Amino acid sequence: MSAVIPRHRVNVLTGIKSARLIEDPVEYANLINKAKRPLLVVGPLLLASTADGKILMDHALDIAKSCNIPIRATAQTKGKVVELGVKPDSVYDVVEIVNALKDPDWQGVKKEGNHDLVIFFGIRSDLGNQCLSTLKHFAPPLKTMTLCKHYFPHANYSLPNFKKDAKWLEFLEGLIANLKKGN
Amino acid sequence: MAEVKEITRKLEEIHEKIKAEIPWEPVGPTPMPEIPDLRQWDMRLLKTYAPFYAPFCDLCCFCTYGKCDLSEGKRGACGIDIATQQARFVLLACLMGCSAHAAHGGHILEFLIERQGPDKKIDLGTFIDVEAPSIRTVVGLKPETLGDLKIALEYVFKEIAHLLDSCHTGQEGSALDYESKALDASMLDHVGMEIADIAQIVGFDFPTSVADTPLVDMGWGAIDRSKPVTLLWGHNPATSTVVIDYLREHNLEDQVEVGGLCCTALETTRYSDRAKIVGPLSRGLFFTRAGIADVIMTDEQCIRTDTPQEAAKVGSAMVACLDKAMYGLEDATEMDTDEIVRRVVDNKEQFAILDSPKAAEVAVRVAMAIAPRRKKGWLAEEEAIELAKKCTNCGICEQVCPNLFSIGDGITEVAKGKYDLIRKQFNLCIGCGKCEQECPNKVPIFRIMQIAASMETWKCRAGRGPVMDTEIRNVGAPITLGTIPGIIALVGCSNYPDIDDIADMVDEFARRKYIVVLTGCAAIVAGMKKDKDGLTVYEKYPPDFDAGGVVNIGSCVSNSHISGAAIKIANIFAALRLRGNYEVMADYVLNRVGACGVAWGAMSQKAASIGTGFNRLGIPVVLGPHSSKYRRLYLSRKEEDDWKVMDARKKEIVDTVEPAPEHLAYVCETKEKAMPMIAKLCIRRNDTPQGRAIKLNHYISLYKKYIGSGLPEDLHLFVRRDADIPLVYKKEVRAYLQEIGWQPREPIGLPTLIGTYPTKVPVDAVIH
Repeated sequence: MSAVIPRHRVNVLTGIKSARLIEDPVEYANLINKAKRPLLVVGPLLLASTADGKILMDHALDIAKSCNIPIRATAQTKGKVVELGVKPDSVYDVVEIVNALKDPDWQGVKKEGNHDLVIFFGIRSDLGNQCLSTLKHFAPPLKTMTLCKHYFPHANYSLPNFKKDAKWLEFLEGLIANLKKGN
Repeated sequence: MAEVKEITRKLEEIHEKIKAEIPWEPVGPTPMPEIPDLRQWDMRLLKTYAPFYAPFCDLCCFCTYGKCDLSEGKRGACGIDIATQQARFVLLACLMGCSAHAAHGGHILEFLIERQGPDKKIDLGTFIDVEAPSIRTVVGLKPETLGDLKIALEYVFKEIAHLLDSCHTGQEGSALDYESKALDASMLDHVGMEIADIAQIVGFDFPTSVADTPLVDMGWGAIDRSKPVTLLWGHNPATSTVVIDYLREHNLEDQVEVGGLCCTALETTRYSDRAKIVGPLSRGLFFTRAGIADVIMTDEQCIRTDTPQEAAKVGSAMVACLDKAMYGLEDATEMDTDEIVRRVVDNKEQFAILDSPKAAEVAVRVAMAIAPRRKKGWLAEEEAIELAKKCTNCGICEQVCPNLFSIGDGITEVAKGKYDLIRKQFNLCIGCGKCEQECPNKVPIFRIMQIAASMETWKCRAGRGPVMDTEIRNVGAPITLGTIPGIIALVGCSNYPDIDDIADMVDEFARRKYIVVLTGCAAIVAGMKKDKDGLTVYEKYPPDFDAGGVVNIGSCVSNSHISGAAIKIANIFAALRLRGNYEVMADYVLNRVGACGVAWGAMSQKAASIGTGFNRLGIPVVLGPHSSKYRRLYLSRKEEDDWKVMDARKKEIVDTVEPAPEHLAYVCETKEKAMPMIAKLCIRRNDTPQGRAIKLNHYISLYKKYIGSGLPEDLHLFVRRDADIPLVYKKEVRAYLQEIGWQPREPIGLPTLIGTYPTKVPVDAVIH
């Protein structure tokens, strides 16, 4: 596969191992369903509205609810998560969660053992990609995944660069539907 | 035996250099420290605040063995692993920063000693006796003359060479040791900055021992375009002050406009309150392309590498004034002045002129000659609409934007005659120009931005240099007891997520009676926003180093006065000896001085060393999201890490449980997250119950304001006893603490890390 250039060029990979690009929501859903202790990390870009009148956080919470994934609310997202009727399982910032995830002895947000899959959604791409780099290098057993509309080379699994938001939202809807089917 | 002899000889040499026979204080354990001397302090810090690496690149390409892939636990051909490579990179960045300031100091010293002699006395005015807290602490020298500053500088240069040597391929194999070296280089940076700024204050008569410095005009709208305009860009006032001198000597001050960009602007306004500040570095390319400057004079550091090309595009003349950036230009230092002026005016040639008076004369004469024939218009709305119509909003501009936004969206709105979006985007623009470079339709984006860039003028208070000893005496007790909730130092470059963030942060914390100090580009942009009454933060708040004060300390090199103020609290207020006594000073600051740095737009290597220098002294720094690209943070794991300290009075090691301060270098994604984090990082173990209650009141209220309802999840870690709970949240906090099974604990009498790690410093040294 030829190299995928991330939407934001500041995130261009200088290295060999880059994220597997996945466009099929079924495959994404299977990866999530297969994980024993996934974690969804939600960021402030999810406070933006989409063309369908929802805010992106609605989609994130639907994903979490569809297969009981614990939520880590970063930055100022806690307020919106609570407003939407969900109590986040943990409220710390993205570098703190990454710092904990790279410790194999950390017991995770549910105190049931460290997570085996972390899903980043709504974190600005430069910070997100840097944090994924940390996990790639210093938390090798952990799998990482992104749900943003751009390619993140340092993740294990990433979506492509969606030119149109509608296609991306379609993917998210498909993912939610497939996650529900799997549970 | 030979080893003992060598140590004795070395110590004698040091004592001679620092004039140990002058008994202003006994010499402490680490005068002129070398790499290993403060290593144990660093290792103790790094035990709790472990390096967090975010590799920017998976490879190493430093030598011809490479490129080497360092991913998946692999080592390079020299044996280096990914963590150590990141730490090596951090050290290199800190060394670049330290070198930039130290060499700046060296140039200034040489310039001033040539004119005023090495015996020129250092006198910082009536209210400053501890003139050089960093030099006194690190070097062990009390500098009395410009010549004494050279002694300190020679020490810094020697150490830089040793540290840089360690970066060579195939040497240091420990990330932690590289971090210790980065901390060392960055401590030296604060010495270098202090040397530079003391020399400047003494040699150029910059303000000192005064708080109420003049309010100067700021913004491109403040520049009178009808006059010849000379733009001074960079950091080094050896050029800019000479321009002012030339204008004064020739009675031209009313006829020629002098504006500055970046720190040179701050330095020039410390010399002349008639000079104007154009803006921070992030407005440099925008202003250059506007063509308002008739002559651009660059000196050093943050001046852009394409200034000659950009100046030529708009017909501005350009003179490079320092050897650090000669741009491949002909060196005209020895050329006849009339000849240079003729060739610049007639042939539009650009020169490097390394003689400041000659450069100043050329710049002024050229500006006066070419200004009448240059057009310096500002874009009209109709023109902007026409130019914007070339944009197809293809999205390429967004792909290359370091701040990740789509200026194409704003430009297409302009084409429809709508300006709201581009006005917002102008605040996000960091001024790199990559969008315009990549635009396939050659849309003149920066030119179109002129309609978004307000011609409004603002006020900035001229930089005032060191905090006065009298101010330290007044605030020492409330700061260490916690009743002044903290010192917030907004420092560094202009790579902001949003330029308005700085003024918002200043306003939030000054209103809450923190002491807010500023330097560099942060000091500039703080004044570039007005409140509903039309006031900037410099007009709204007093200029005193006291609760609720907003203090422009000065340029980048003035950062040394912020670390210096922290040291002075330990030395003047707490009466701890500082001479060659770095560990005691840093330990005091870490445990008892509630200070937090905020480098929200940190971009440069200088910002890396400034911040890391604060860290070694025990001052945490909050960074903006771009700073994840520095590759390294210092983070604790609040509930897992070692929060044990020695109670110096009881000589007992106590587990305080409380992560105070929680991190040393921390990246926040948004301003909203940063606000409560800054307040939290001002919490110290030494806080009295009253002080802790005040600090927690701000932490909780900022959390509620910016993050959401409820209480911070880690609040219980910072409540020692019921008396720590702020009155206004008593009921809510008590209920929360009861719910989680919180147990009270005793506050510690005299917390110190001394005694918890191997050090030559006795515990008694921290008792005052």
